[in-house]
Amino acid sequence: MATYQEFIQQNEDRDGVRFSWNVWPSSRLEATRMVVPLGCLYTPVKERPDLPPIAYEPVLCTRPTCRAILNPYCQVDYRAKIWACNFCFQRNPFPPQYAAITEQHQPAEIIPQFSTIEYTITRATCSPPVYLIVLDTCMDDDDLQAVKESLQMSLSLLPPNALIGLITFGKMVQLHELGCEGCSKSYVFRGTKDLTAKQIQDMLGIGRGGAAAQPGARGPQQQQQLPSNRFLQPVHKCDFSLTDLLGELQRDPWPVSQGKRPLRSTGVALSIAVGLLECTFPNTGARIMLFMGGACTQGPGMVVGEELKFPIRSHHDIEKDNCKYMKKAMKHYEGLANRAANNGHVIDIYSCALDQTGLHEMKFCCRYTGGHMVMGDSFNTSLFKQTFQRVFSKDAKGEFKMAFGATLEVKTSRELKVSGAIGPCVSLGVKGGSVADTEMGLGGTCQWKMCGMYPNTTLAFFFEVVNQHNAPIPQGGRGYIQFITQYQHSSGQRRVRVTTVARNWADASTNIQHISAGFDQEASAVLQARTAVFRAETDDGPDVLRWLDRMLIRLCQKFGDFHRDDPNSFRFSENFSLYPQFMFHLRRSQFLQVFNNSPDETSYYRYMLNIEDLTQSLIMIQPILYAYSFSGTPEPVLLDTSSIQPDRILLMDTFFQILIYHGETIDQWRQQKYQDLPEYENFKQLLQAPVDDAQEILQTRFPMPRYIDTAAGGSQARFLMARVNPTMTHNNMYAYGGEGTAAVLTDDVSLQVFMEHLKKLAVSSST
Amino acid sequence: KPLTANFNNMSLQGSQCIDLLQQKKLLPPDGVPVPKPAIPNDSRNVNCNPEVFRCTLNCIPQTSALLNKSRLPLGILIHPFKDLSQLPVIQSSVIVRCRSCRTYINPYVQFGDSRKWKCNLCYRVNELPDEFSFDPVTKSYGDPQRRPEVRSATIEFIAPSEYMLRPPQPAVYLYLLDVSFNAIETGYLSMFCETLLEALDRIPGDTRTQLGFIAYDSAVHFFNLAEGLSQPQMLTVSDVDDIFLPCPDDLLVNLNESRSLVMDLLAQLPTLFEKNMDTRSALGAALQAAYKMTSATGGRITVMQTVLPTQGPGALQNREDPTQKSGKDVTSLNPAIDFYKKMALDCSAQQIAVDLFMFNGQYADMASIECVSKFSGGCIYYYPSYHVVRTPHYVEKFEVDLLRYLTRKIGFESVMRVRCTKGISIHTFHGNFFVRSTDLLSLPNVNPDAGFGMQMTIEESLTDVSTMCFQAALLYTSSKGERRIRVHTLCLPVSNQMSEIHASADQQAIVALLAKMAVDRSLSSSMSDAREAIVNASIDILGSYGSSLHASQRSNGLPVNEQLRLIPLYCLALLKSTGFRVTGSVPLDERTHALQQYKTQPVSQLIQMIYPDLYPVHTIMDVKLKKKGSFECADLPLLQLCSANVDRQGAYLLDTGDIMYLYVGSAINEQFCKDILDVPNFAAIREGGIRELPELENDGSERMRTFLASLMDNRPTGAALIIVRDDGKLRLQFFQHFVEDRNDSTISYHEFLQQIQGQIKR
Ligand SMILES: [Zn+2]
Ligand SMILES: [Zn+2]
Repeated sequence: MATYQEFIQQNEDRDGVRFSWNVWPSSRLEATRMVVPLGCLYTPVKERPDLPPIAYEPVLCTRPTCRAILNPYCQVDYRAKIWACNFCFQRNPFPPQYAAITEQHQPAEIIPQFSTIEYTITRATCSPPVYLIVLDTCMDDDDLQAVKESLQMSLSLLPPNALIGLITFGKMVQLHELGCEGCSKSYVFRGTKDLTAKQIQDMLGIGRGGAAAQPGARGPQQQQQLPSNRFLQPVHKCDFSLTDLLGELQRDPWPVSQGKRPLRSTGVALSIAVGLLECTFPNTGARIMLFMGGACTQGPGMVVGEELKFPIRSHHDIEKDNCKYMKKAMKHYEGLANRAANNGHVIDIYSCALDQTGLHEMKFCCRYTGGHMVMGDSFNTSLFKQTFQRVFSKDAKGEFKMAFGATLEVKTSRELKVSGAIGPCVSLGVKGGSVADTEMGLGGTCQWKMCGMYPNTTLAFFFEVVNQHNAPIPQGGRGYIQFITQYQHSSGQRRVRVTTVARNWADASTNIQHISAGFDQEASAVLQARTAVFRAETDDGPDVLRWLDRMLIRLCQKFGDFHRDDPNSFRFSENFSLYPQFMFHLRRSQFLQVFNNSPDETSYYRYMLNIEDLTQSLIMIQPILYAYSFSGTPEPVLLDTSSIQPDRILLMDTFFQILIYHGETIDQWRQQKYQDLPEYENFKQLLQAPVDDAQEILQTRFPMPRYIDTAAGGSQARFLMARVNPTMTHNNMYAYGGEGTAAVLTDDVSLQVFMEHLKKLAVSSST
Repeated sequence: KPLTANFNNMSLQGSQCIDLLQQKKLLPPDGVPVPKPAIPNDSRNVNCNPEVFRCTLNCIPQTSALLNKSRLPLGILIHPFKDLSQLPVIQSSVIVRCRSCRTYINPYVQFGDSRKWKCNLCYRVNELPDEFSFDPVTKSYGDPQRRPEVRSATIEFIAPSEYMLRPPQPAVYLYLLDVSFNAIETGYLSMFCETLLEALDRIPGDTRTQLGFIAYDSAVHFFNLAEGLSQPQMLTVSDVDDIFLPCPDDLLVNLNESRSLVMDLLAQLPTLFEKNMDTRSALGAALQAAYKMTSATGGRITVMQTVLPTQGPGALQNREDPTQKSGKDVTSLNPAIDFYKKMALDCSAQQIAVDLFMFNGQYADMASIECVSKFSGGCIYYYPSYHVVRTPHYVEKFEVDLLRYLTRKIGFESVMRVRCTKGISIHTFHGNFFVRSTDLLSLPNVNPDAGFGMQMTIEESLTDVSTMCFQAALLYTSSKGERRIRVHTLCLPVSNQMSEIHASADQQAIVALLAKMAVDRSLSSSMSDAREAIVNASIDILGSYGSSLHASQRSNGLPVNEQLRLIPLYCLALLKSTGFRVTGSVPLDERTHALQQYKTQPVSQLIQMIYPDLYPVHTIMDVKLKKKGSFECADLPLLQLCSANVDRQGAYLLDTGDIMYLYVGSAINEQFCKDILDVPNFAAIREGGIRELPELENDGSERMRTFLASLMDNRPTGAALIIVRDDGKLRLQFFQHFVEDRNDSTISYHEFLQQIQGQIKR
């Protein structure tokens, strides 16, 4: 048998699944004693170019309460042409078209290597996706020009049959008609007035009760094009006129007086966008792409007042409950997010401004719909430009790496129930046999909706073992989970991806070592991080930290090897050993320590943690640090102050930032331009190596990280100092007095101190 | 000094007493002469042109008792901004006015010596400023009487800065265009755009002139025409219950700077909405938007409306009961809501006037909508059931009207004050304006075609004076940004003799004023009260005249003098006119419009409306030519409106002002058909409206067209031309204007006279 490492990797590659526990405790009681809950990270549309194309529909279990899909774990009687459902044990006849199957001639879905398989539903109609641009015009000319150019560029990247629309806003909100010749046309709305969907539809003449839909008293009964076509047109029909329209677009014409912010009607603009798609393309893949250069300052969804002298809310204001607009704005955006999600529409937010723009209030829009959230300083930066371009990147088959309108259903074998999901999704509120009573994240359902999905989109699922303590290990010794994801592929096709996983049951009271050997500390760390962030949205920060600490201590107590009240005796097996370190970095990460960031930044960071896959999430929790020096090949080094050396270059990847740090000596050489001298070619190469590695990351990451080039003593070196383990701080540097290593100005405890405390608490007989 | 000495010529006229029951011929073949006041010592004959300023009586009764006894209405009718061929304009640093009553110096003041003048309205003696009599040519002080102010009863001053409350506004024109389904159906929009394009270089203004457009259906469509745009931008606001401007500037643009965009827009406007299916109309919201656009400057809003406004503020409901189009009880003449009046008052306060062009066939509630013009000093045009194909006669008229409208003179931010000699006061005003204070009319715009009427009372006996004066002063900003004052002064003799009062009567002015009074009556009381008042006016006037005669002159007939003889005929015509008739079917909007016209039309147009001109055009080759303006045209006699004057061999032109009917008798000679109508014979004549007569190369056609052109000359509006066959469907419509006949349920002129006679005897 392969090692657990290999097993985990294999499963992740094949199924896109990582479980916290790979052997499952067979009773409810034991399961709760595992401290880290049974859960998994699942990447539903993970890129799988190797999957065979299946152009028929899946075969379902005939039991009405089950409807699980035929999979490799089902018992098949080839002679009788019968298969037994591994979830409910129902014996099902194969449909007639399977008459030819034999042990040698198996359909793909029962071949073990295809525990994940994808069906293409050919009878479903292909509808092209809709892209609705919602563009803020309260920007300075450079920014507006940059975003206009990016949008013009995007027209060439969109599929020609995709529908596109344009809303611009400032003090007013303008919905543009496309494809007009001779005279550009738009509908204008007041940015201060919250209009219901019905009102918007009436005003545009597109609702069921709209002017155009109303049979004109004496109007001729001629064929009319759909009224909504005025606003949403195929790219190939309107790309020239839209290019011109964007070209002619000016910054918001309303005067902004001294000491005031421009009046920006983001809330109404978004409301109109949602309202427009709601009545024209419900349940069709569509994305609203919002570009904003500042905070909403009027109308519903306003997050800051017009007066510049009153700054936008900070974490301190939120803590003191001193935010005039926040709750109302959140209600507005959450309402919109829910409506968009209900209709299967995605909301992307591209926010580029030096100050906050209200992502904190608007985060629901992305979170509920799976939209992109991108935060930058200016639209006139490569960070925005490259990121936006990457939205339209394509896979090897030339298809967009985006999926729309997904529903994900989880089926479990009897001993197991699903208690919730955390990720960019909304609950569909579907009760069923596999729904647990306890809730973790969005629970009470076995189906979730994700309006927008990408190959890396990853959901966390939590499960509850319901088997009673005295009941035997379930029949067959294995438990099953099936993930059924139906979605609209970017090509317009309806597809169904089915992943069926099986894991062994073990009796924890007798075979705890089997269970602990199946512990996946990386998956567990990410699951705990998602849970902590989920809790932090509603709970107080300190409560969340205390909860994390408590869980960690209990895990150490449960799985650590120690003599009571002897901290030095504490040992953790290898597959637990990194876990405390992950927790240490999580505790001091920007996800939970919010006061050094703005609420917008916090929302942005948390959103990315909530959507990314395991590898990326781990980088966010514990950044990766590489060292480059003359003494050897580049190597990963400890995220620790001790890694900062004068003769080293460090490359730190925090997911959000790529930072190159030149040690003091290196920096001096660099400033003396040794790299330009032929005899120091090797120094030039040393300088270049981290830059090349950074480029590799920058090329692929979405959103593009902030790139920082700094050196010892540089002001931006603080980004590195904030993340490394503070072995050397101003509190203890005299005690340790390390020569040549940099001191970190922090009151945080170091990992070493943290571990000492942890061991003490874990072994203490009093806890 | 005996006053009668001054009236020799007039008393001669006055002595010609006729019996209306005997005398059938009342109308002079060349029209009713306009009497002129005979003022003492009027050697220079400078009195105000009666076309501009006239009084119902050319001799003012000395006392109110005498006026009451005459039963004649006292009032003035003024056409203050009429186009004049010769208007003295003076630019002077000093405008000489009475220090007490602010009267402008005028030809009727008395100069004591060269340094003093006595005001002819309040009798204060004023100092004459040195500059007034200084002659810059001789550089010496001369006779003040040489001054144009003293030599002309109508004069215009270019005002110095103290006459400005703010810098003179630019010419601002905003067009509100109905683009609903119905509006597009009528086809008016193409004509509007073509005509405005054609007139673009001729609309009054200077380098500051601003233009803007709003189109509306159930939504309001704005047009951004900012200089530098590659094409016009249409901005639609559907939130008509809470209308707002979609952008801060560029909706009203400088015509010079944005000319090409304006032209571009006008060229594509008709096609822009050609597929519009929206049947609703948000006129009120469009007006509110227009107000917001123009309120900073003032200006002119022109509304083109084809349907009942049904959407947003100012929405209206159908109040026309088709079963009640005729009958004595005419209802719904007053506005249904006060929205449009309030709108007008808001506009007026910001120096904005709203002009209305209505094209509706179905009821559109003119009575409510028109308030927006009535109280803002606007004007109203109406083309019932306008349709580019179905009503070709209106197409031509609309084009002529619109071209004139767009290019005629305009005065902005104006006020008019009428002063009278002490002892007389004004109590009622007629016309489109807002009365700002007792004698000050606010006219955000003044146009050259608007007429006004004022009713007077004699408050003090005028025993010590031989004349009295009225002075109207119109202060306005010209389209070139000059502040100007146009002053008209009318001087009238005063008399204590009833015969002189009777002899001085201006019967057309009297009927015009009676019509205006009757309109007020119909609105404040009822249509039947208004009609009764018209009948009573005839009875009272004739009764008063009869009782003023010496016993020797009295007869059994219905005696009347030359100057009053048309009053019963005109009163009957008024009773049978579109505004006041209660028989036949009159659509409510057409009635409302007629009543509105009676209030605002200058005298001659008003008389023509109620008693149209009838010419026997089949005789056009038989009559001599006369010079009329620049035309050599046939001198056709005017015929009275009685069907006895029409025979089957003839062809007749009936000119109602708005419409010209060419009626052709069935026995008309073929020559006429060929020469004039380009058809072989009567049978080939197609009845109905036409845009114009065919242009044929023969004397008859040329004479006919010249004659029509001479009728149209100097007329402020176009006229629709309708061909009527004497066996055709339109015959009834034609003969409806023959007020002397008896028809259906209306009485004949003779019967009307008998009725009057009966009432007088009682
Ligand atoms: Zn089953
Ligand atoms: Zn005076």
